[in-house]
Amino acid sequence: MAARAETAGVAQSKKEGSRGRTDLAGYLFVAPFLLAYAAFLIFPVLLGLRMSFFNASLVGTDSQFLGLANYRELLGDSDFWGSLWHTVLFTLLSTPPLVILALVFALLANRAIPARWFFRLSFFAPWVLPSSVVALIWVWLYQPGFGLINSYLVMLGLPEVAWLPDESVAMFSVVIATVWWTLGFNFILYLAGLQEIPQDVYDAAATDGAGPFAQVRWITIPLLTRTTLLVLTLQIFASLNVFDQIYIMNTSGGLNYTATRPIIQYIYEQGFTSYRVGFASAMSYVFFMLVLVVGLAQFAVSSRRRRDA
Amino acid sequence: MALDTPSAPERSEATGKPLQDRVMGWIAFAVLTLAAIVWLIPLLWALDTALKTEADTTTVPVTWIPPSGFTLESFWQILSAGNMLRWYFNSFLTSSIITLLVVLLGSLAAFGFSRVAFRGRRLLFLVIIAGLIIPPQILIVPLFAEMDALGFVDTYWGIILPQIAAPLSVFIFKQFFDGIPHELEDAARVDGASRFRIYWQIWMPLARPAIAAVAIFTFVISWNNFLWPFIIVTNTDMMTIPVGIATVQSSYGVRYADIMASAVLAGLPLIIVFLFFQRQIVQGVAGTGLKG
Amino acid sequence: MGEGFGNGVGRRVRRVSRRRFLYGAGAALGGLALSSCSGAPLGGSGRIVHFWNLFGGGDGARLTDMQSNFVDSNPGIELESTTLTWGAPYYTKLSMSTVGGRPPEVAVMHQTRLGAYAPAGLLEALDPDMLAEYDIGPDKFLPEVLESAKFEGEIFTVPLDTHPQVMFYNTDIAKKAGLLDPNGELKPIEGPDAVIEAFKKAKEVTKEQGVSFAPADAAVPWRIFYTLYGQLGGEVLSPDAKEVILDQEKAETAVEYMVELTVGEELTSANQDYPAAVAQFQSGNAGFHWNGEWEVTTFEDAGMPFSIVPFPNIFGNRVQADRHTFVIPKGVAKDRRRMDAALTFVSSMMKNSFIWAQGGHIPAYRPILESQRYKDLTPQSNYAGVADNVVLDPNAWFSGSGSDMETQAAIPLQQAMAGGIKPKEAVDTMRASMQELVDTPSPL
Repeated sequence: MAARAETAGVAQSKKEGSRGRTDLAGYLFVAPFLLAYAAFLIFPVLLGLRMSFFNASLVGTDSQFLGLANYRELLGDSDFWGSLWHTVLFTLLSTPPLVILALVFALLANRAIPARWFFRLSFFAPWVLPSSVVALIWVWLYQPGFGLINSYLVMLGLPEVAWLPDESVAMFSVVIATVWWTLGFNFILYLAGLQEIPQDVYDAAATDGAGPFAQVRWITIPLLTRTTLLVLTLQIFASLNVFDQIYIMNTSGGLNYTATRPIIQYIYEQGFTSYRVGFASAMSYVFFMLVLVVGLAQFAVSSRRRRDA
Repeated sequence: MALDTPSAPERSEATGKPLQDRVMGWIAFAVLTLAAIVWLIPLLWALDTALKTEADTTTVPVTWIPPSGFTLESFWQILSAGNMLRWYFNSFLTSSIITLLVVLLGSLAAFGFSRVAFRGRRLLFLVIIAGLIIPPQILIVPLFAEMDALGFVDTYWGIILPQIAAPLSVFIFKQFFDGIPHELEDAARVDGASRFRIYWQIWMPLARPAIAAVAIFTFVISWNNFLWPFIIVTNTDMMTIPVGIATVQSSYGVRYADIMASAVLAGLPLIIVFLFFQRQIVQGVAGTGLKG
Repeated sequence: MGEGFGNGVGRRVRRVSRRRFLYGAGAALGGLALSSCSGAPLGGSGRIVHFWNLFGGGDGARLTDMQSNFVDSNPGIELESTTLTWGAPYYTKLSMSTVGGRPPEVAVMHQTRLGAYAPAGLLEALDPDMLAEYDIGPDKFLPEVLESAKFEGEIFTVPLDTHPQVMFYNTDIAKKAGLLDPNGELKPIEGPDAVIEAFKKAKEVTKEQGVSFAPADAAVPWRIFYTLYGQLGGEVLSPDAKEVILDQEKAETAVEYMVELTVGEELTSANQDYPAAVAQFQSGNAGFHWNGEWEVTTFEDAGMPFSIVPFPNIFGNRVQADRHTFVIPKGVAKDRRRMDAALTFVSSMMKNSFIWAQGGHIPAYRPILESQRYKDLTPQSNYAGVADNVVLDPNAWFSGSGSDMETQAAIPLQQAMAGGIKPKEAVDTMRASMQELVDTPSPL
């Protein structure tokens, strides 16, 4: 059953005729994209690599070759490691709720028949908002005193929380805002995945006496493995690249800076605020390597899962 | 699509377990409704704040119905005093051009890869797919240097160009083209139509679902892009909506009604687009994600 | 879809501002020829001054008044004023726009950021004779003010003000605490013990805080520390900014005193951020308030009984300060007309700086500083004399208002004030972060 559902999409891609001879028209078709790709993706990757070996400055004209000095410096830079840790921490904290809550909501929505459009609207609408709108709204919600959340806490007889300035809370505040913002995307992916599961699977299980929870545990979740891997992959990459909401909340929302600044923000600050584009490029590269390692690890895991399935 | 409305009652009647299933359905519905309301509160609170007078925004305890009544003052304030209209225009223009180019370049390349045999196409395709793993965020420094050298800092092209190299679009179009039987094309070739005409007159109309998915997805992503426009744009008159509302401050200190009004105005276009094209957007995202 | 929406907005706005709408429509047409917008300097044809600043709150309101005066008296020049997020975001945008070739004609800059801008070639050097043509020549500034406007002998900034830390006090509370003289003025308070004694008396009246300031802020801890450390005669960096010369003993004395005010005598709260510190003083929960003089507008608007004196002489007669200045980014001088518009604007702002002085800042422009109406302006002129005794941040590429050095120093200072670490540790941490900045290869 599982195999049938999963291979259905993949099988189609193989039946295309190759005619063995080169058709020059092919180059013409791919050329425009390749040009853009080379100019705005490959070239900056290489330029960044080159810059990382120089003491290149945003404002200076002449820069000297430094060899690996930038890399040596960043290895001993506590701010580099600190901000890298913030990025990793954000990923560790945001990924589980964004995947699990999305799955739970999708399972529930799949059961609840009336008003499904309403659920889709409320969970997914935040995702179409720009990050800065999300940051502004949540800074406002988190205000002390007249902020909505603290005001409700006080009404319930609870103490106010210093959501943004308190260094032990700040990262959680960012995670909460982010879960609210992007959960809808995963929710939609799960809903789509759920609809690919044929109804007769459930009917058969029900005939065998499986209750709703057993059905979810033994049928739905295993059949959603492919979707889960996809959601997980997209989510980890999105979380690793976090910048917008933290930066905006840091600079104009009073978010605790020393407890939240992510690596992309440190790269931005070194490159553009402190003019040190060479050093910033070196950091970008080290971070890129980390992303690559995570990507390869995921590829290994998901291809093994796929073989097992 | 047949599964869009799977009906639990029917199922339960068939299996003879109506009660348990119906109860589960109601519990699910209740839990989900609660969650959905929680999810809507931030949006409603933002709108509510934007409709208050400045003095009513900071009352303790908070109130949803302001003592001095609702007002559109903050919206007028934002629309008349700021650069909001200019930012709308900038966002609309750049996102449209990016979308157009991404669809065009992506489908052309995918057609080449999928339908034309030429030497090295496997390798080239692999190189393009490898680009999916490069996070654009790590390129901000060299890209700024490149754009500076080209004289594109603070220009529309500076905003647009780095966003058109989207390997995902090639991938999605190729998946789509690969999945279509090519008898149609053979018929056209017999008629002596050129490659480009086959692409344009046969494949593109067929690819409408893929085009919609890529276009909607690209438009939303580029409309909401913050980091790159934030870096390449240095003057307020070239800013896009997300950048403008986060960078430019009012000279009157913190005014929450105004800030929320600008947030609502900034979020509104895509919310409206979403309301009208809900089905397409959801399918686009699901399709894009599933195939990506 | 988006199109329909845009039209809707346009219709509504026409009623609000015809000019805005036309502007938007013009932009729409202009956008059709994309390339025509690329790289063209701002305001190529008409005379227009793009002006960037970082003023919010009361400062922002006064700036708006000064700008209206400029617009009224210079109908030939259009003004586009932009306020950006204070601190690093503002300075980053300013550098990037200059590097990218489309800087504003005029920008506000803290004097202490000169070390990061002038050597980077981001600013136009200002010819004294040309300045004199616009009535803002060297003779219009006190010698020490003019001196700090220079880098390697050339003038790069036109100083608008000096803004020192001051001490606000609530006159009612001070009276009840017996701290006023028969004339209703604050009796002189000098020396570390006398200051604490006065705060204690104020606390007895308020039952809350003796003094309020903002230990939980990114800049305030540094400002207080640098004041106290400066009063002890300490310096932070060698003149070439290549060496940290933080004096351990003096620095510890300064930090110890700050700790004494928080956990020691509990005269203020170590977890208080900036808005909270202001609110505490405004609501009468604190008898005294340490802050920049710019908050005068806030307290005037609140209609509370208060006055201002110079920051107390605790270890000596010094106070941390900075100056707001006008600068012309590099590239503007190429076009004589742009430069003329820019200097006309700066000149007008200087001549209108009495409005600015009402906001608490000590004017730098001598015709205002020495005028009778400024002398009559109280409490703002009470502390005008401190302009001679200010300590400004050292001149390095990483120092100055809103810089890395300030924000990094604020962290250990706050931890010490909260009782988390010992003053010695705070000084050690501060020294380490300064050393790291000094060791960082200069990008200039």
